[in-house]
Amino acid sequence: MMKFSKIAASVAFLSVGVSAGALHAQTAEVLHWWTSGSEQAALGEIRKAFEAKGGTWVDTPIAGGGNARAAAVNRMLGGDAAAVFQFSIGQQLRELADQGLLANVGDVATAENWDEKLPPLIVKAAKYDGNYIAAPINIHGENWMFYNTSVLEEAGIEVPKTWDDFIAAAEKLKAAGVTPIGLGGQPWQERIMFNSVLLGVAGREFYAELYSTLDDDLLKSDTMRKVFETFAALKPFVDEASPGRNWNEATNMVAKGEAAFQFMGDWAKGEIIAAGIEPGTTVGCAFAPAIDTAYIMTVDAFAFSAMDGEDATPAQTLMAQVMLEPDVQIAFNKKKGSIPARLDVPADSFDVCAQTAIKTLQDKKTHLVSTGLFGVPSAVSGAIDDTISNFWNSADMSPEEGQAQFQQAISYAK
Amino acid sequence: MALIPAMTITIVCFYGFIIWTFVISLTRSRLLPVYKFTGFEQYVRLFANERWWTAMQNLAIHGFLFIGGCVVFGYFLAILIDRGVKAEGMFRTLFMLPLSMSFIVTGVIWQWVMNPGLGLQEAVRALGWTGFEFNWIVRPERSIYTLAIAGIWQQVGLCMALFLAGLRNIDPNIWKASRVDGIPVWRVYLHIITPMMRTVFFTVFILMSAIVMKAFDLVVALTGGGPGFSSDLPARFVVDHILNRQELGLGAAGAFVLLCTVIAVISPYIYFELKKERGGRGH
Repeated sequence: MMKFSKIAASVAFLSVGVSAGALHAQTAEVLHWWTSGSEQAALGEIRKAFEAKGGTWVDTPIAGGGNARAAAVNRMLGGDAAAVFQFSIGQQLRELADQGLLANVGDVATAENWDEKLPPLIVKAAKYDGNYIAAPINIHGENWMFYNTSVLEEAGIEVPKTWDDFIAAAEKLKAAGVTPIGLGGQPWQERIMFNSVLLGVAGREFYAELYSTLDDDLLKSDTMRKVFETFAALKPFVDEASPGRNWNEATNMVAKGEAAFQFMGDWAKGEIIAAGIEPGTTVGCAFAPAIDTAYIMTVDAFAFSAMDGEDATPAQTLMAQVMLEPDVQIAFNKKKGSIPARLDVPADSFDVCAQTAIKTLQDKKTHLVSTGLFGVPSAVSGAIDDTISNFWNSADMSPEEGQAQFQQAISYAK
Repeated sequence: MALIPAMTITIVCFYGFIIWTFVISLTRSRLLPVYKFTGFEQYVRLFANERWWTAMQNLAIHGFLFIGGCVVFGYFLAILIDRGVKAEGMFRTLFMLPLSMSFIVTGVIWQWVMNPGLGLQEAVRALGWTGFEFNWIVRPERSIYTLAIAGIWQQVGLCMALFLAGLRNIDPNIWKASRVDGIPVWRVYLHIITPMMRTVFFTVFILMSAIVMKAFDLVVALTGGGPGFSSDLPARFVVDHILNRQELGLGAAGAFVLLCTVIAVISPYIYFELKKERGGRGH
């Protein structure tokens, strides 16, 4: 039966002709979770470039990252994989590669010299067994602080450089009747603020070592206690309605001057631009207060299913190549609010915040990984979100207890 | 013979997957099922997990309040309507209306109502009562009660309809007899009608228990399990760990423990009820 259908297929293939066959080979189904306006527009740039090179793009959007990842994996296991699918690089992707489900696009990567052009931490996360199994296409930063310039001016405060400065400034703002921190009270948002505090209080070396080793001694250290104390000191500066709020509502609070600061990834710029504000004017951007300069990176990537055997199909190869072309990188990232994954792309057409990011990342010491999906195993990332959020929201938990719970949850999850 | 397809489907899809879940819970599967057995390690991890215990405790609180609230309010409303209010049809429709919405919609509606910055609290304060407080949804120690409020609001209509059907089935002669004997109405309800309604209570209890055990969408839409994980429920814990955290093994362990809990809680009641019924028929 199997044989017969194969013969029938090849007869049909031959009768249609070689040109149709070649066309078919350039067709790629792309499964992704980018359904919002700006995300669609950004992805459209890649699609345009792919189609200009003769590819046929079959779009399969699935709302929600979790749903899309589950759908991608289920279809792979069911033998009906999408050729290209959005996925976070890191541990989970390697697990798929372990099962032989991924194609490697090492040839394009070697030809285009990705090793040199991408940040080393991203190279590490996107490789399995020395080969690229995903195309990382952008870098978002998580340790940004957005602020309303006129609110700060009215209260007579400078953009704070350390967390002590920040707390002093926040006291002033609170006395003046402004909500100092516009916080969206969802676990991942609270984690973003926590990681900014961690980086700001303990420094980038501590941050890097903590999350790469998940070492018990570091988790139990006095430095970590100081982090929890500082984080707890921020609790009074958030308004009552924060829990459950979406990040974009918090961004709007800053844009409207109802709140002074927001600690959020640079996707908040999209919201600011949508409110008719050029980033860097009414709403300013700076790195969250810290003792040294660093950039907590989070990365979007596309992976490639093993369609027949190990090698990437021509369509997959073309897709990988297109995704990292400098022009595509610029067009895509300007719409997405992120910066190019390739650090050799000219920065001058980007907004001020993005330019700062690109300039900062020229120094490799500033590179840090986010703990959301990329950087640590997702079980650990979940445990971090859980305990941070629990600590942030309980009025009576001491920093010591919070630290102990954090350490315990990570050691069970890793 | 005709039952074979149905039986096969039940055995494979129901019992088969229960067994599969149990098998997975004995492995260290993360994103994909991997059949490398690690004994009861996942259960040890599960029981050491603060969030799991919060979720289980919440299930107990929510279950008690939700089922209790639905039964009490549903029965009370049914009695009021049964006493012959005017515009009965309108009231019935009014109480049944929330039922036509999904838990997601219910959750979103109540999220707005209970949001301290936008909803009820702000509205009452704007009227002049500036000290008014209704911020349970943002208070970790109270957030679980908001689930019960929204849940009861949605399901009470169904309970009312079931109770009302039961009340309408009561032999009118009982009422006539009780009137002749001069028994006050409330005593008739308490001592005569309510015991006769036992099977309806049983039905309502089972229906509402099923809703509680699988409660997932309401918590997702209303509180997102927050603040922190203070209003999390086991079903959400399981789905979150399987889908978002790539912790298939831990999620499976949670699902299996949940199943055991359901069996442990429900089975004595079912056993008791069924036995009573059979015994009753003998007399």
